[in-house]
Amino acid sequence: MSGKQFFVDRYNKLGWNYKPVELKQAIRININNVGEADLVRRFESRRIKLEPIPFLSHAYWIRKSPFSVGATTEYLLGYYSIQEAAAQIPATLFADLEDKVVLDACAAPGGKTVQLADLMHNTGVIFALDIEKRRLTALANHLERCHIENTIAYLMDARSVSHLKIKFDRILLDVPCSGNFATDKQWFQRRTIEDVQRNAELQRQILAEAVRILHDDGEIVYSTCSLESEENELNIDWATKHLNVQAEPIVCYGETASTEVLGKQLSSSIANCKRIWPTQTQGFFVCKLKKRVDP
Amino acid sequence: MELDETSIAKKGGRYFLLNPESKRLVSDDFFYAGAYLGKERRGVFFPSFILLAMIAERKEANKIIVDDKTEWLFIVGRDVFKRGILQVVGSRRKNAHTLVMNKRGECLGFGRILHNLEEGEAKPKVAVENVSDVGDFLRRERTIEH
Repeated sequence: MSGKQFFVDRYNKLGWNYKPVELKQAIRININNVGEADLVRRFESRRIKLEPIPFLSHAYWIRKSPFSVGATTEYLLGYYSIQEAAAQIPATLFADLEDKVVLDACAAPGGKTVQLADLMHNTGVIFALDIEKRRLTALANHLERCHIENTIAYLMDARSVSHLKIKFDRILLDVPCSGNFATDKQWFQRRTIEDVQRNAELQRQILAEAVRILHDDGEIVYSTCSLESEENELNIDWATKHLNVQAEPIVCYGETASTEVLGKQLSSSIANCKRIWPTQTQGFFVCKLKKRVDP
Repeated sequence: MELDETSIAKKGGRYFLLNPESKRLVSDDFFYAGAYLGKERRGVFFPSFILLAMIAERKEANKIIVDDKTEWLFIVGRDVFKRGILQVVGSRRKNAHTLVMNKRGECLGFGRILHNLEEGEAKPKVAVENVSDVGDFLRRERTIEH
């Protein structure tokens, strides 16, 4: 089962009418490295027009730029990162991050790792993992460019984190996923439901490992840039039933996730998850999980 | 400049400075850790941009401050012409290494002085050879992509 109509029909059943989308380039200011007002003035002097992203802090869409914003002195000095707007949401959902031991389980190329480090003011420790050396090299370059000092990176599968013998306070699971058509123009030609199911199974394995290494009072933020329920609501419903976790309320951009998906009635806490359809941003799904405390 | 040696980790010729929490938790098989200081190749140490920024904070560091045009040329890998240098701090001697800073005091990299930078000397075309500049991050990205 594949093809554009197949997937568009599924989105319809979830309550969204497919529309093509043109994404705006977004940046996030690394406030540990530069004053926001100073950087905005520097952009203006270079005739780069910015638009604040209303649902994020220290984040802007690039309205107009006479040259690539990925080649300015300010970029090379690590004053900002180029990071799609929806992708900036997950790291902001943790209750507090300073001095914590944090895991970024699928970290490369490192946009969210740098964002976590910025939110932590370079305190505590981030463990950043990826399974591909080439992608980890890109992450290392990103860390050096942004002057990150609190991150340890390992070439490691997120399903094997227990080998580190560390319990984590916060875990970011921006898991490998099927992606969406907003960031991949060939998405409908490329993807099948079998890909989605294969990714969903991998994501469940990563989720299960993450719960094992989470402190009892810790937090997991789970996110995908997939629009497919198998990788989102259905996986979180599975986690609530098999991993003794529950989805916690979050405040961020996006729609309340549905508790009735593809003919299945899901756990009521799924309504605490957020689904973002591609309009102003790419498609995204995000939620926060905590271990259930039994009375 | 002194760093606490017990907080430095070495991995395959690369050096990293660890904060106490990272030092406590890191294991030997790490890929990257803490603040990257630089790498050693065939007995020569190449400082990272994090280390260069640390050195730039020190008063005794050799520095040249360059104008806007020279800043742009330098980060695309070009050498520094004498006419683009606004100020010299520290050594002006031939073969000395010097940080290259922009007008805002930001470290763009470093170079080697090719001719004495004494004022009044006959002006050579290239005064400071580019050894390393922050534009390297873009060049590395291209290498990874291909």
